[in-house]
Amino acid sequence: MTPTDKPVTQRSLFSWVLSGNLKLQLLLVVVIMVTVFARVVPLEMQKRIVNQAINLRKMDLLLTYCGIYLAAVIVAGGLKYLINVLETVIGQRALAEMRKGLYHHILTLPLNFFRKTQPGMVVSSLVTELTTAGTFVGMALAVPVTNVLTLLAFAGYLLWLNPLLAVVSLSIYPIVLLLVPLLQKQANKSNKQRVDVTRTLSSRIAESISGIHEIHSNGAYPLENKKYDRLIDRLLKIRTRWSLYKYGVKTLNNFFNNLSPFLIFILGGYLAMKGRLELGALVAFLSAQEKLYNPWKEMIEFYQVYQDASVRYRRTMTYFNRMPEHALAPADRTAYHLDADLQIKDLSFVTEGGIALLDNISLDLKAGEHLALVGFSGSGKSTLAQCVGQLYKYTGGIVKIGNQEVAQLSKKDMINNVGFVAQHPFIFEGTIEENLLYGCSAALAGNGHQEDGGLPSLDDRIAVLQHTGIFTDVLRFGLITLLTPGIHEDLTRRIVNVRRNFQADFGELLADHVEFFSDDSYLYHSSISENLTLGSANRPEFEPAQLPTNSYFRNFLDKADLTRPLLSLGSGLTRQTVDILGNLPPDEVFFEQSPINATELDDYKLLVQRLKQARLHQLSESDQQMLLTLALRFTPGVHKMVGLPSVLEDLILEGRALFRDKVAAEHPGAFSFFQQDEYLYSQTILNNILFGKPTSSSHQTQEKINQSIIQLLIEEDLLETILEIGMQFEVGTKGDKLSGGQRQKLAIARAFLKNPRLLIMDEATSALDNNSQARIQNLIDSRYKGKSTLISVVHRLDIVKKFDKIAVMRAGKIVEIGTYEELINQKGVLYELVAGKQ
Amino acid sequence: MSSSPGNNDPAMSCEFKENLKIFREIPFFAGLSLEAHKVFAYLCRRETYQAGDYLFRQGDDDGQAFYILSGSAKITRQTDTATTDIAQCEAGEFLGSMALMGTQRRLFSLQAKTDIRSLVLAREKFSRAMQQFPELMPKAIASLIQRVCLWEERLLTDPAQSCDQCRTKAGVSLL
Repeated sequence: MTPTDKPVTQRSLFSWVLSGNLKLQLLLVVVIMVTVFARVVPLEMQKRIVNQAINLRKMDLLLTYCGIYLAAVIVAGGLKYLINVLETVIGQRALAEMRKGLYHHILTLPLNFFRKTQPGMVVSSLVTELTTAGTFVGMALAVPVTNVLTLLAFAGYLLWLNPLLAVVSLSIYPIVLLLVPLLQKQANKSNKQRVDVTRTLSSRIAESISGIHEIHSNGAYPLENKKYDRLIDRLLKIRTRWSLYKYGVKTLNNFFNNLSPFLIFILGGYLAMKGRLELGALVAFLSAQEKLYNPWKEMIEFYQVYQDASVRYRRTMTYFNRMPEHALAPADRTAYHLDADLQIKDLSFVTEGGIALLDNISLDLKAGEHLALVGFSGSGKSTLAQCVGQLYKYTGGIVKIGNQEVAQLSKKDMINNVGFVAQHPFIFEGTIEENLLYGCSAALAGNGHQEDGGLPSLDDRIAVLQHTGIFTDVLRFGLITLLTPGIHEDLTRRIVNVRRNFQADFGELLADHVEFFSDDSYLYHSSISENLTLGSANRPEFEPAQLPTNSYFRNFLDKADLTRPLLSLGSGLTRQTVDILGNLPPDEVFFEQSPINATELDDYKLLVQRLKQARLHQLSESDQQMLLTLALRFTPGVHKMVGLPSVLEDLILEGRALFRDKVAAEHPGAFSFFQQDEYLYSQTILNNILFGKPTSSSHQTQEKINQSIIQLLIEEDLLETILEIGMQFEVGTKGDKLSGGQRQKLAIARAFLKNPRLLIMDEATSALDNNSQARIQNLIDSRYKGKSTLISVVHRLDIVKKFDKIAVMRAGKIVEIGTYEELINQKGVLYELVAGKQ
Repeated sequence: MSSSPGNNDPAMSCEFKENLKIFREIPFFAGLSLEAHKVFAYLCRRETYQAGDYLFRQGDDDGQAFYILSGSAKITRQTDTATTDIAQCEAGEFLGSMALMGTQRRLFSLQAKTDIRSLVLAREKFSRAMQQFPELMPKAIASLIQRVCLWEERLLTDPAQSCDQCRTKAGVSLL
């Protein structure tokens, strides 16, 4: 919307007032003119009602004048609302544009800017500080025009009524105009300080929250509190001062405005007594003067908003007023398709503090050659990779990709030709697929393509999953998906079909790792409610979470003699779990094996107190429900803090049969009982294929099951479908549902999928196990050698043998470079490193 | 088709209490409080391995510690050409405390000789729990140091002739 060449941070606050809103602003001015006229009319009517209608006792005049008065008031009210609407629209639009513009700008700022900038600071700038600026833009035209016009209209009317009286009563305003800016200046000073301190404060908070582990492990509460409290105290002082000045302005204004009627009474009263002023005119005068107060007050408030907004706006924009180091897109050409040969000559990188991280580095790579960077941490390996990848702007020397200087290339040139895998890759909230396509989508969007056109095909996606070894993980995510009835009908039918084959082929092999569903035996890896119902609910009131409050189910528990044993089990579970977990933080790791969720722990802690004071039968209904909830969740194979009494086990098996009969007779259709030939929607795809549950979440169990399942899925041609479902797995904020290895594999897959001509990997396989690492190394050797140029920062020496060149770095310099054989034969640093390792 | 609780039957008794008893007897955890023992007894898993299964493999950073409940395993070391058996690991043994404390690629493999039941504690869980009991880390480190020194002392004082040569390369406790 704003085709300015200037970056957003250099735009003035006023530039937002008209840009993009011209038509609205014009409409606003017209509306204001009408409104001001509609505001003066009642005053004149007031005078005429007193002087003409009442004095002359003319009923028809009274009615006419009152009618006009009423119409004017209604019109003025309606128009005032319209003005507010327009103001809001303009203001909010400008705010949205500012927020977008600033955010877009911030993302392009160089990386070293963010080393010194806390996320909290960016958040408060975008969310809080700009709001007033938005409000101001909305008011910028409307308020001054409305109020100046109103003031002028009223003042003109007063002058017309009685010039002398008008001059005297208006004489207060120049005084106010003189005093207010003095106070406001002080208020501004405090406001500036307030913005700065608030900024420091949000950085402080952000820092302590991200370092909360360190604070806990050091018990550093007093230290952190002191730092924080000191800031708050400063803020307290500044805010108090700021508010006092602001109220000072208001009070001053009020005082002088109240002084005005005093002048009118004294002078007007005198003139009226002398017969030089009509009574009606005096009434009109008084109310006109009173009406002056509002527009005047609004002007003063507007002045304050303006001051506040411009302080905040300037502070915010100045802070982010830095230029990106590289253009986002080339100005006068299409993006390059670069050759992948690389020349580095006399490259150096010196930090702002004057420390040389890279010192006179020179090397050449032909297209398709693979280079390993080796050296101790801090030797500059990563910095070199990042300088070549344009993440940091080098301070001296030359880096050329395909004979183009990297410093001169735009971001678009880079992303079209270079793939970068960072040491700690970032995975964004969303699905596996979204993360996998992240690089490709970004490149496409940058090249102005349609959203989906040109993305890699499903086959390519699956191939890259396979190559990087995240394939089994994605398959696993697919297998643990719960399907929704009505979707994937075909899939569910096929799964049911393969179930029987599966048990025939693999049943025995997996007996140790799978507990198969069976009508006659207790399932130790299913919850008690699953053991009782052994089916999926078809009605919401029979969902597992509803059972403790479902009266039909409670009656059944009574009848099956299960209520008391379950309450007793629930009580044992509550006491044991709270005893173990009571003092631990709500961390997912601690609650994986607990029937109590992290969010419920506090409630159950209180329940333990009540359990100490009462017998089971004395507990309130809600306490009993809490106990039943836990008991029904209890899964002996997962929750190890108590054992399942064998008496209860028998009762539950009896209860299962009773429940089935009861439901069949009284609520047919409420449950789909687990049957060999039906899909179980309450269970994952995996459990459906197994017709059972895995007995452990351990790696080896998973692997055993996977081997059999993959074989089956390939035979049945279901593999792609499950993978597609698996790619829809939500990885959580920052990918926290993935392991470190899975995150790295996904990041590598995302770079491979782009098929870049130059690939830079910064310790990209450091979190992978031996097999995964070897798999990726083989892939790089077989598929990319001779095709894509590779720079790989390597943390393990056993994988460097196959690289075309190895560069050993120390203190920002390349100390030796050559093939593995050359360097080993010359018995230099690499030789020492390798020998030292053995 | 039947479920197979076997002798791993969770219904037979309370697994947590048995685990707790074991943790109180493992020297590495000896200095810790009962509260910490409870958390570890709760966080560990029981796993079964069939004869021939690997509990971990050389070169992996699996980050797990094992307490063998029943069965026996062998520790092996693989070179480019051959695999050598190094030692035996029997029921009642605990190994892997160093794997719990930090990243470490296994220098050996551990392979089940018979079917094995084992307690397994993962590094991730161990370290999260240790964050909750910051006072425990010094004790854990002290226990580890003590055991490393003890191990080297045994090597140095081993009367067997074949150890003479190894002794020239000793000095782990000097690290």
